[in-house]
Amino acid sequence: MRRLPVYFLLDTSGSMYGEPIQALNNALSGMVNNLRMDAHALDSLWLSIITFDREVKELVPLTELVSFQLPEITCPQSGPTHTGQGLEYLHGKVVKEVQRGTPTQKGDWRPLLFIFTDGKPSDQLLYREMIPKIKGLNFGAIVGCAAGKAADNEMLKELTETVVHLDTADSATLRQFFKWVSDTIEQGNKSMGTTSQVTLPPPPQEVNLVI
Amino acid sequence: MNTKTVHSVINAGKSYQYIDNGEPMRGGMKDVYFSPDKSYVVAFYRDDQDFSSRERLRKIVTEYYNSFFNREGGHYYKDLYCWPTDMVELDKKVGLIVPCYNQNFFFKKGYASNDLIKGKEKEGKWFASPKFRNKQFALRLDEAELGNWLSYFQICVNIARGVKRLHAAGLAHSDLSYKNVLVDPVSKSAAIIDIDGLVVPGLFPPDVIGTADFIAPEVLATKHLEVKDANRKLPSRLTDLHALAVMIYMYLLYRHPLKGGKVHDLDTEKDDLLSMGEKALFIEHPQDTSNRPKLNQLNPKELPWADVTKLPYTITGPYLKELFDQAFITGLHQPNNRPPAEMWEQALLKTTDLMQPCSNAACEQKWYVFDNTMSPKCPFCGTPHKGTLPVLDLYYEFKPTVWKPENHRLMVYHNQYLFQWHANRNIIRNERLTPEQKVPVGYFTFHQNKWVLVNQQLTTLKDLTEDREIPPGTMVELTDGKKLLLSREEGGRVVVITMANK
Repeated sequence: MRRLPVYFLLDTSGSMYGEPIQALNNALSGMVNNLRMDAHALDSLWLSIITFDREVKELVPLTELVSFQLPEITCPQSGPTHTGQGLEYLHGKVVKEVQRGTPTQKGDWRPLLFIFTDGKPSDQLLYREMIPKIKGLNFGAIVGCAAGKAADNEMLKELTETVVHLDTADSATLRQFFKWVSDTIEQGNKSMGTTSQVTLPPPPQEVNLVI
Repeated sequence: MNTKTVHSVINAGKSYQYIDNGEPMRGGMKDVYFSPDKSYVVAFYRDDQDFSSRERLRKIVTEYYNSFFNREGGHYYKDLYCWPTDMVELDKKVGLIVPCYNQNFFFKKGYASNDLIKGKEKEGKWFASPKFRNKQFALRLDEAELGNWLSYFQICVNIARGVKRLHAAGLAHSDLSYKNVLVDPVSKSAAIIDIDGLVVPGLFPPDVIGTADFIAPEVLATKHLEVKDANRKLPSRLTDLHALAVMIYMYLLYRHPLKGGKVHDLDTEKDDLLSMGEKALFIEHPQDTSNRPKLNQLNPKELPWADVTKLPYTITGPYLKELFDQAFITGLHQPNNRPPAEMWEQALLKTTDLMQPCSNAACEQKWYVFDNTMSPKCPFCGTPHKGTLPVLDLYYEFKPTVWKPENHRLMVYHNQYLFQWHANRNIIRNERLTPEQKVPVGYFTFHQNKWVLVNQQLTTLKDLTEDREIPPGTMVELTDGKKLLLSREEGGRVVVITMANK
């Protein structure tokens, strides 16, 4: 039975403190609920959540969707954004957890990675060192999400071509983003066109909100 | 809330409304919006549609609509298809007006443990995947949603009929899948949706290759070629027949016929493409066992269905076994050998004549197919059949005084009915039966320790063994070796009785 492993690498640095982290919690739990209403997702999806700020934490190890419990994600009031360390940790996990095909056992589907940040890496050296290693893991898709004015699209673009920029990290915007994330995850179950492979659905439109 | 109005491009002056909340339901090719009263949806194609595609859609909502529904017997199909009724255009985007599905295709309860999917569509996947019926699975479906094994035979008959009718009209669906066929085990019905992908050979080419799990091997094996390449295989009537066979196998056995343990390539994507395409191999192939599912690599929540040793496809009975062999062994890579939809319909119906209710009240499947042994038992819960079991073999008059077997059996159970299509071979059990033909002509009961057939309407029933007429309102005992003539009319049958489980 092939699994579809999906990794979420989430920025919980100091700048996320307050409304953004609440919005992220909200949007994630909405997404998990959405996925739980999908028979295909329940059949193959496994999820993992890793957070990074000063430290990297595996908040939820790779777990089958049906048993997945989303904990409250918290963040310190201030502190650096160790994105590079996050990637390093993720690398180790993916190598260990994702079942590769062997002559006697079917492999998992290529994993998906969603990386969410509202700033830029404080450990740029390590970040850049990890990029080729992450790319070498053969992800099915890597999606970067840069939320808020301070988020650095360019740094994410070094990691992946698919970068979604959200002007704000409020609840409505994030909910829309994670709706799109679940559409992306569910993509494989829809009709395939004759002319080309269906790729990622179009990302949500940027939302400008004045608060 | 934002209500918008769109105009028909076919019926001048006709308009439709829909609610645009900015978050349409997204299909593979279309964005779907509800009408204010939710009686229909407006489904807009995201991509521009060229002239030929527009022509095809126009034909679907006009000519084909009329030929399917506005003629005798059309009513039966109204429930079987969710057919677009009109075509609209807004800002160069083409849309279709499609009626909403019947209420029975929405979950009344959904999960056993919560209301998360209550009111959601009954997409086929819920019923084709073994997890959702496993008691250990936290998000399993409520028992009230699952029906019993017999329900799925009726569902499959309906799907086969829907496909049969399309093919009879020279059309191919081209994308039969979990999403495009809704099923309801409670009312034992099915509805084929997403009719707009219909393919007319030679006239309108398909715009999708299908949905994973249901795409025919030859389509996947030639997917890399250009659409115009003569060797490229695209959806057609024959690929529909592959999808139909997969669907029937999945609704009866809750596992995929080609997804086994054999590894063709270490890369997952390549392996998947090969194992569903060029190298596709039936997991229950009697000689080549290399693709048998490996029990130690399965998710335990998929048991017992994933275990082909415990529940082999032969539990679906001899008629369906033959068709599965034809679909997944001889016809898997030889599309012309795939059984047509009507053969599936007839084999499913004949199989229901072999079915017995399980005497174990707690049995989850409730019904099973008689296994042709002298001591039958339920393959699902293992409960042996209690008491004797009359088996009626049907014969037809090949020429005067020569009667030949028809490879059709009727297994008798208490309070089972006999119908005209049993008594006379010229009456075919299909959607064209009249209401009068659906009235039973007799019934079987176990009465005072004897099996009897009570004659209600057979005017010329005769016990040939005892040379005695059995007029309506009387009964005849079923004994081992007895021969009964059910009807003297043209096509009337003789049954020969065998008592099993003595």
